[in-house]
Amino acid sequence: MTPSVQEVMRGCAAALSQPPSPDAGPDYFASRVGMISMLANLAAQEADHAASAAIAENADIRALFATAKAYDGPLGGRLGKAAAEVDTDLSLTGLDAANAGLRRLLIELHERVEDAGDAVTDRAILALYVRMAQGRRLQLGG
Amino acid sequence: MTSSLAERLGAYLTRAWGEPVAVEKLARISGGASRETYRFDAVLGSGRRPLILRRDPPGSLIETDRRSEYLALKSFHGAGVAAPEPLILELEGAELERPFFIMARVDGGMTASPFQPDAYAPHAAEIGADFFGTLGRIAAADPATLPIAEVCEAPALDGCWRRELDYWSGVVEADELHPQPIVRAAIRRLRRNPPTPAQKISVVHGDYRSGNFLHDGQGHVIAVLDWEMAHLGDPLEDLGWAIDPLWCHSETERVSGMLPRAEAIAVWERASGLRVDPAAFAWWELFASVKGQAIWTSSAKEYRDGGYMEPILGFSGWLTARRHDEILAERLARMEP
Repeated sequence: MTPSVQEVMRGCAAALSQPPSPDAGPDYFASRVGMISMLANLAAQEADHAASAAIAENADIRALFATAKAYDGPLGGRLGKAAAEVDTDLSLTGLDAANAGLRRLLIELHERVEDAGDAVTDRAILALYVRMAQGRRLQLGG
Repeated sequence: MTSSLAERLGAYLTRAWGEPVAVEKLARISGGASRETYRFDAVLGSGRRPLILRRDPPGSLIETDRRSEYLALKSFHGAGVAAPEPLILELEGAELERPFFIMARVDGGMTASPFQPDAYAPHAAEIGADFFGTLGRIAAADPATLPIAEVCEAPALDGCWRRELDYWSGVVEADELHPQPIVRAAIRRLRRNPPTPAQKISVVHGDYRSGNFLHDGQGHVIAVLDWEMAHLGDPLEDLGWAIDPLWCHSETERVSGMLPRAEAIAVWERASGLRVDPAAFAWWELFASVKGQAIWTSSAKEYRDGGYMEPILGFSGWLTARRHDEILAERLARMEP
C-alpha cells in the first residue's frame, strides 16, 4: 500500500530534478534513470487500477465484517457500522483513508478470532488476505 | 568542504598509509542500498590498487553497523568463502564526513537482479551449488573464533528466533504508514508457534540472496557482497532468506533461480554438516518474508522522509512490498490453523 502512486510520481519528478552528483559515474546515473523509468511504468499501471483495487478491497473487507457478527459486540458495534458503509470519496486519498480504517479494524478482528480459536473465520480472513494481496499486484514490465 | 570526494579520499589514504596516494576513476556504483558504494583506484608508489569505498548514506533502507559488516568480511576473507578483503574501517568519518570502510575490489565478476528472469543461465546449477555450498560453509564456521564475535553478541540457542522476530516486528510497528494486516498476522503466527532451538550459533550473513554476489560467468561465486546485516544466530535464518520466493522472480521450479529447492537444501546440509528440520525451517521461511516486509516498510518511510530522492527506496517500498504481501498471504493460507 505504500507509497501511493501520487508519492511515487512526486518522487520521480524530484529525483529527475536533482542534478547528478559529480562523483556519480555514468553507470550509476544510467542505473538511477533506469530505476526512475521502472517506477514511472509501475505508476502507470497503478494509476489505471489503484481506485478499482481499493474499492474492491474495501468492499471485500466490509463483506467479511458483515459475516463476523459474533465479534461485533466485543468490538463495540464497529464491525456492523463499517459493514454498512460505502465509499463516497472516490479520490485515491479518500479511498486510502477508508482502507486504512478498515484494515485497522480487520487487524483487531483477526486477533480476536485467533484468540477464540475460531478456525472457520480465521480461514475466511486468510483467504481475504490472498485476494487483497493479489488485487494490489504490480507487474514489472506490465 | 569544497574539495571533491576523490581529493578527500586521497588525503585520507595518504594520511592512513603514510605515503602519497592519488585516487583515480572514482565512480559511484549501484551495489548495496544501505551504503553509498564507490569504485576507485588508489595509485601509490608501489602501483595501483582496485578498491571499493562503502560510506554511510544520509538515509538508507536499513540501519546497520558498518563495524559488523567490516568484521564479517574479515572473518571470512581467505577462509573458504569468497569475501572481499577488508582494508580500512573509519568510524568517525574523518575527511569523508560519514563513517566508511574500504575493501579490495573484485573485478571481472557478474551480478544479476533478482527480478531478471533466468538470470544465471546457462550456469544456474553450478552457480547454485557454489552459492548454497558457500552459505553452508558460513553456517559451519564457529563464530567464537572469528573477528565478528568482537561486536556481535551470541544469542542463546533457544533465543535466536525471539531476538530476530522482536527486532523486525518492532521495525514494522515503528515504520508502518498504512496498516498491514498480512504481515501482522504472520508475526502473531510466528510468536504463537516458535521453532525448535538452533542446532548451533552461526554467523548469519543477513542478506544472502541472488543479486548479492558476483560470479565469473563460468559457474563460480567469486565474491559474496553486502554483509551489512551480518550477526550471530540460527543458521536456518540465512537459508530461509536465500530461498524466499522474492529472489527468484516469477520462477517456481528453482529457488533463487538456480536449483530445485530439495537440491539447494541438500547442498547446504552437506557443506554445513547441519540438518534442516522441516518444521523449524517452515518457521524461518515465514520469518524471512516478515523480515523482507519490515525492510520494505522502512524503505517506504525513508523514501518519504528523505524527500523521495532515492528511487531504489521507492521501488523497494512499493513493488517488493506488494510481492512480499502476496508471498506472506499465500504462505499463511497454506498453513494449518
